[in-house]
Amino acid sequence: MKHLVRGAVAWLLICLATSATAATRNYTLYITSGSIAIHGGGGATLAAWGYTDVAGSPKFPGPLLEANEGDTLNVTVVNNHTLPHNFLVKGLTTDTTSILPGGSRTYTFTAAAAGTYLYYDTLNNAVNREMGLYGAVVVGPPDGSNRAWTNGPAYDFHRTWVVGEMDKPRWNDVAGSGGTVNTNVYKPNYFLINGKGGEDGMADSATTIDGGVGQTALVRIVNGGQFSHSLHFHGNHVQVLAVNGVRAAAPYKQVDVINVAPLGTADVLFPLNQPGSYPMHVHTAQMETANGVYLNGVVTMINMR
Amino acid sequence: MYDSTKARAVLAGAALLVAAVATAQAATVNRTLSVRALNKTMSDGQRVTFWVFGSGGMMGGGTLPGPVVELGVYPEGISTTDTLNLTLNMMMAPQEAAPYNGHTIHLHGADVPTAEDGVPETGAPVNGDTYTFTPTREMAGSYMYHCHVHTVKHLEMGMYGALIVRPKDAAGNWLNQITHEPATAYNYVQNYVFSTVDPAYHSATGDAIVFADYNPRYFLINGNEGRSASAPASSLSAARNSRVALRLIGLHSTNGTFSIKDGAGNAKPFTVYVQDGRAYAAPETKSSLDISPGQRFDIVFTTPSTAGTWYPQIVYKNLRDGAAFANGTVYGRVTF
Repeated sequence: MKHLVRGAVAWLLICLATSATAATRNYTLYITSGSIAIHGGGGATLAAWGYTDVAGSPKFPGPLLEANEGDTLNVTVVNNHTLPHNFLVKGLTTDTTSILPGGSRTYTFTAAAAGTYLYYDTLNNAVNREMGLYGAVVVGPPDGSNRAWTNGPAYDFHRTWVVGEMDKPRWNDVAGSGGTVNTNVYKPNYFLINGKGGEDGMADSATTIDGGVGQTALVRIVNGGQFSHSLHFHGNHVQVLAVNGVRAAAPYKQVDVINVAPLGTADVLFPLNQPGSYPMHVHTAQMETANGVYLNGVVTMINMR
Repeated sequence: MYDSTKARAVLAGAALLVAAVATAQAATVNRTLSVRALNKTMSDGQRVTFWVFGSGGMMGGGTLPGPVVELGVYPEGISTTDTLNLTLNMMMAPQEAAPYNGHTIHLHGADVPTAEDGVPETGAPVNGDTYTFTPTREMAGSYMYHCHVHTVKHLEMGMYGALIVRPKDAAGNWLNQITHEPATAYNYVQNYVFSTVDPAYHSATGDAIVFADYNPRYFLINGNEGRSASAPASSLSAARNSRVALRLIGLHSTNGTFSIKDGAGNAKPFTVYVQDGRAYAAPETKSSLDISPGQRFDIVFTTPSTAGTWYPQIVYKNLRDGAAFANGTVYGRVTF
């Protein structure tokens, strides 16, 4: 009897421990139309559609969805737009059922493996994604600690970079006014990091790698765009932890350029090892501009004190 | 029998050697780069103006890519290091109008203080400055230098070159190795500087909408078009059973896939030892390699025991779907 009681108590503790780590996280995303503004030289206002966490107010990129490994996510997508849309987390979900205008759908899935994921709308041959319907899912280890994964590399703070680009005259303006985009031609003229370009990205504290020497930052990169982005870190090397969800083993490769393919992801570790300020930018010529005006595009700052 | 006299002599010799090494090894590499215009007639007859680096002073011309800059690093246990002092001479340099006038040198991939980074926006001085880089022995590999003023234009204009960090022995002699690991030894070495040219960028100035849309028409290795295996951009005559190192340096603005093929089109394996100036813990043997803008790889392959010709080559591809550009394959050639 004593054994039984002890056994029951142990079982109860295990249950409690399990329920304490595996949480259920509920998110609601509203799909809405509106516009986004690119500031600085060459800036403009672009027609956009976005997943937002507050009905009626467009946002690009979509809200960051966070979870720990093993958590259950219920993402309810409410389509307040006039066209059908869907929601797919690459590597985590498979349901691509359309949500009709005025409808909603709840996507339930498990945060299977710690890492970085891209969510997006797979409909209409990339036009819906072009208009802004993508964002990031980041999954931490089950205990919620500052590690890339269980027993993985530790970090002091993290950043999530959602990169992409937009073709205002041929895609955004056309789709935004209800026209049909010729998807054979794609000549993007705006290049964005977390929905910002140029000095906006360089000044955005949610985007900059900003901290004290001796700290380590985990940078999670997702590319929701249709162009490859070749990100160059000035004056510093990063350690490549994972590319497209495939974890590397230590010792990690040290690079100053990481290429992220369309719909791709990369996790890199940035050791802050010298005081100074350095840019991080995409090395492709045109991606350093907004509609041809320099300096803009996919750029942010590394500020070490 | 133990010969103590001889042993003492050897020890004394070793001490002398250490003393000699300690005074002889540290080198300061002083180089001056100027900027010149260079007109090139391309394969379709179009004339394109480049801005290039040269080391010839006031009267000297420049080359596309610019002169190779080499810097040494020493074996384990040797504490001194080489220092590069790279000076930009602006006399007679072609320039854009303000605010994009002037030039800098960015030591791409070099872990340098902010003031040496060559970026005007973070406070690096423009025009006539000296850029300093002191690598450590773990930094052997390939880098590049390029102008960081109005980069969308100046990089495209041809303002770039290879910066190589090469191992030296304890006495300060160059080693024919990629790193201090003997496994990286080579008999022959060549740089393959990859770049692409959109002629519209070369005639546009200031802030122009042309810079929003990159349409490369010319595809280069080491500044040459090399559009067929019979007219390669770069060639090398190597012995059979020898080791050939290639330093792959990505100054292009597209995607690209590198491979080495024989005359029948079969891909030949090569080993990657270093990426972005940092050695792999485990070298990787590959038959093709994607190289994106800004990346560098240091690779070695072994020529076969029978005579023949191989073609190191890059296929330049667009950033959207990876489709190859028309005329986007550029050939090198290695005969053995």
